[in-house]
Amino acid sequence: MPETPTREIFLHFSTAMELVFYAVAAVASVVFLYGFWLRYRKIRRGRSEHRFDDLVGRIRRAVVQIATNATVRKGDRFAGLAHALIFWGFVVLFIGTCIVAIDHDILRWFGLKMLQGTFYLWFSLTLDVFGVVFIAGLVLMIVRRWVMKPAQLDYKRADEQGGQVDRSGYATDDMIFVWLLLVIAVTGYVVEALRIAETMPAFERWSIVGWVLAGPLSGLETETLVNWHVWTWWFHGLCALAFVAYIPFSKMMHIFTDAVNLVFVDERAARRLPPLPPAPDGNGDGDGEPKKKAAPRMGYSRITDFTWKELLDLDACTKCGRCHVACPARAAGTTLSPRDLILDLRSFANEAFGTPEWLTQRFGRESKWPLRDGGTATALDTDVATDVIRPETLWSCTTCMACVAACPVGIEHLTGIVQMRRHLVDGGTLDDNLQGALMNLGDYGNSFGESPKKRGRWTKGLSFKVKNAKKEPVDTLWFVGDFASFDPRIQGLSRTVAEVFHTAGIDFGILYDGEKNAGNDVRRVGEEGLFEMLAEENIAALDAATFEQIVTTDPHTLNTLRNEYPDLGADYRVLHYTGLLAERFASGALSVSRRLGHRVTYHDPCYLARYNGEIDAPRDVMRAIGLDVVEMPRCGANTFCCGAGGGRIWMDTSNEQKRTSEQRIEEALELDGVRVFVTTCPKDYTMYTDAVKTLGCGDRIVVKDLIELVAEAIEPESVEAAASDEAGAAG
Amino acid sequence: MNIVVPIKLVPDLVEELEIDDDGTDLDRDFLSLRINEFCDHALEEALQLKDAHGATVTVLALDGDETDKVLYTALAKGADRAIKITGIDGAATSRQTANAVANALEGIDYDLVLTGVQAADDRDGQLPVLLASRLGIPHVSVVSEVAIDGDAIHIKKEYAGGVTATLRAKPRVVLGVQAARETPRYAPVSRVRQIMKEAELDEVEAGDVGAGATSSVRRMFTPDKGEGAEMIEGDADAIAAKLAEILNAKRS
Repeated sequence: MPETPTREIFLHFSTAMELVFYAVAAVASVVFLYGFWLRYRKIRRGRSEHRFDDLVGRIRRAVVQIATNATVRKGDRFAGLAHALIFWGFVVLFIGTCIVAIDHDILRWFGLKMLQGTFYLWFSLTLDVFGVVFIAGLVLMIVRRWVMKPAQLDYKRADEQGGQVDRSGYATDDMIFVWLLLVIAVTGYVVEALRIAETMPAFERWSIVGWVLAGPLSGLETETLVNWHVWTWWFHGLCALAFVAYIPFSKMMHIFTDAVNLVFVDERAARRLPPLPPAPDGNGDGDGEPKKKAAPRMGYSRITDFTWKELLDLDACTKCGRCHVACPARAAGTTLSPRDLILDLRSFANEAFGTPEWLTQRFGRESKWPLRDGGTATALDTDVATDVIRPETLWSCTTCMACVAACPVGIEHLTGIVQMRRHLVDGGTLDDNLQGALMNLGDYGNSFGESPKKRGRWTKGLSFKVKNAKKEPVDTLWFVGDFASFDPRIQGLSRTVAEVFHTAGIDFGILYDGEKNAGNDVRRVGEEGLFEMLAEENIAALDAATFEQIVTTDPHTLNTLRNEYPDLGADYRVLHYTGLLAERFASGALSVSRRLGHRVTYHDPCYLARYNGEIDAPRDVMRAIGLDVVEMPRCGANTFCCGAGGGRIWMDTSNEQKRTSEQRIEEALELDGVRVFVTTCPKDYTMYTDAVKTLGCGDRIVVKDLIELVAEAIEPESVEAAASDEAGAAG
Repeated sequence: MNIVVPIKLVPDLVEELEIDDDGTDLDRDFLSLRINEFCDHALEEALQLKDAHGATVTVLALDGDETDKVLYTALAKGADRAIKITGIDGAATSRQTANAVANALEGIDYDLVLTGVQAADDRDGQLPVLLASRLGIPHVSVVSEVAIDGDAIHIKKEYAGGVTATLRAKPRVVLGVQAARETPRYAPVSRVRQIMKEAELDEVEAGDVGAGATSSVRRMFTPDKGEGAEMIEGDADAIAAKLAEILNAKRS
């Protein structure tokens, strides 16, 4: 007797049992919606921020990223595969459940039915296949987390707080998440198998997994099968409803928060920092007095200073630990871990806003955590930049952007760090050395405390006079920067750059005393007012000059000129010197008279490669002059920081147990036959020459700026002069 | 407690100093001025007292090129009032400055005057001494810490040879500050700029400041190189190499 392939929903259920199920489902839904609303209410407490431009484009980009799992796969293929399997398994099974619900709860009342015939067969096959996909992903994740145990999944804090922080809640939450899903998936198959085993209809071969499992069960008594089916069904159903109810209170919430976070991500985050946040509204300060002229907030000191997107960032974190292992400050052994920073702020925000979070980190009585005794009465007044995140931790950041780049869910750690630093600067909580540098920058426009008039003095000794761009038009305006102008170790390199530009026929000039520090690192230190002042003075000088493009040897300068000055009204084409030279080699304006032929490795500067995607040009130049480039494991946009960025070069860095510059040189020493470590950033040159000296490995590796090698390759006669000059500096 | 901090501006040594055509003074056309470091410490000590005990801090400075910036910076750091003393040349001598400040103080209610113990251009004496004598009140110099206890002012004064004394004074008194208890604080540029938009600098006339110094300069010149000093010339590497050589030779 031919049967129409279909199945009965609520098989063997009495009406009362069905109603009980719907009641439980309703309760689970209410709990879910309540939890969801609590989270939404928390995010709404954030300051407003406009992220709704090009909403269609944002959604399209996020949908593609989510569908392909591209951001999860990036940098971790195993986790990417496992996640993609779980993701697609979940999505398809969820759609399947929705179809059942629509069929049974809506269409049925209109006398319609989708789940029958051919559609039912394909439905069964698809869901069974994706159930396997889902389980495979879960098993891979279980293996990864509890067998492979990669370093990034270790929840040990960067600052131990004397063992006062208990993070076992996180581990429990992970366990519930993955095992609960696995139990739901497996019991789903068991329910299916028990149902099929009762009558073994031939068309159920399409439910491949259920059919296979049903075989051995088919010999059992019908009554037993019916009993088992009902009980397993309830177990499966209750687990699924528990999952739904649990979502907003657990890591599972990332399903929603991460999707939304990826929609509203700022693709220019960190590259272009926001100006000071506007003043709080008149009565926001609590004293009720109307402000005569509202001054902007000097960065973030309260949790309510964070924008809704920044609060969403906190909830978006899945503790994947990629930022934790990428962070140079963490690698150096400071108290900063971008992951811990986000998680601490999240714990604090939840406490301050009264949002429940069941399985989380717990701070012991002896810890310095401000709310350890449940003192939420004053939570909103707590100084987050001192009492939640410690100043030392905030000052440890090199702003290398590795965390932002590594984050698969669009968290923008760096903006919050700088906003909190702004508050520290405003309150005068800063390192003496840094204060000295800032005072010099304010007084003289350079961190060296040199007279601004001496800024162009490095040009003395060149074979020609460098044009003064304040006085005559030039094609290319060279924005030299502080280190290249004043540091005796770098001035020789600047002269070599000038000679090479001259040889290449580049019509260039500099602003002499019209140039000030461009302010990239000043801004990242959190001295926004000083940044604005420097930028205004530079922009006035640039506006008064006539030129086609700007070139600089300093990636930090490049970043602010290219990404931040446009917002202040100065939108110019900005090149790194390696880009300019690559153009000249390509066009034939520069030619090589001597191919060098040694094996070198190249360190990508953070601000060049990661911030600005300038990865090819330096390599093109190295190839053009005949160098054989051997890459370090961390290269290109995945480069490792020298430790000098974000103002660290001006600070006391004795909280670093093992300097990142030394770690990087050791990474290069691992390479076979590489004796030259090439950089293209003045700060890198300074840091790495120091590191080689400290490590005492000067006989095995020598640090060179690419310009020295270019000079050597293009003009043999003048090499002696430049080379002997530099050899002296390097030795 | 009302604290007054007279601030001196001195030539910035970052710029190369040049002697004028007469050969008796610096060429002031090419000078840039900055706050006298000791006065910066005096201001810091005053602000520390304000933070600890509550006080009103008034800063004073002679009108000149950089005066506005220095006074606004002091306000940004936490001073309550800033007064510019007009009608007097920035190149005034210490005596003239003392007279100008004393005249300005006639209109100000004050208990304590904190100022820099000395300045690089104190040719005819240090300001604290001259000011105290002009005001007819006591003075203590080389002060490194001040504490207020009710009506009493406790003053830590340094002597040569590592000896320190704690003195007690009653208002009014002039203190020449050697060093504040902490590094002078940083004034964030945003705050300075905000203050510039919002705050006003008060102005008072210098009045009669007298004839100036009781001595005159016959010749101003850069010191001749002495026989005993060997000047090492060359770039940083050459200098470093030479220094290493000399130190190695002396080590034996």
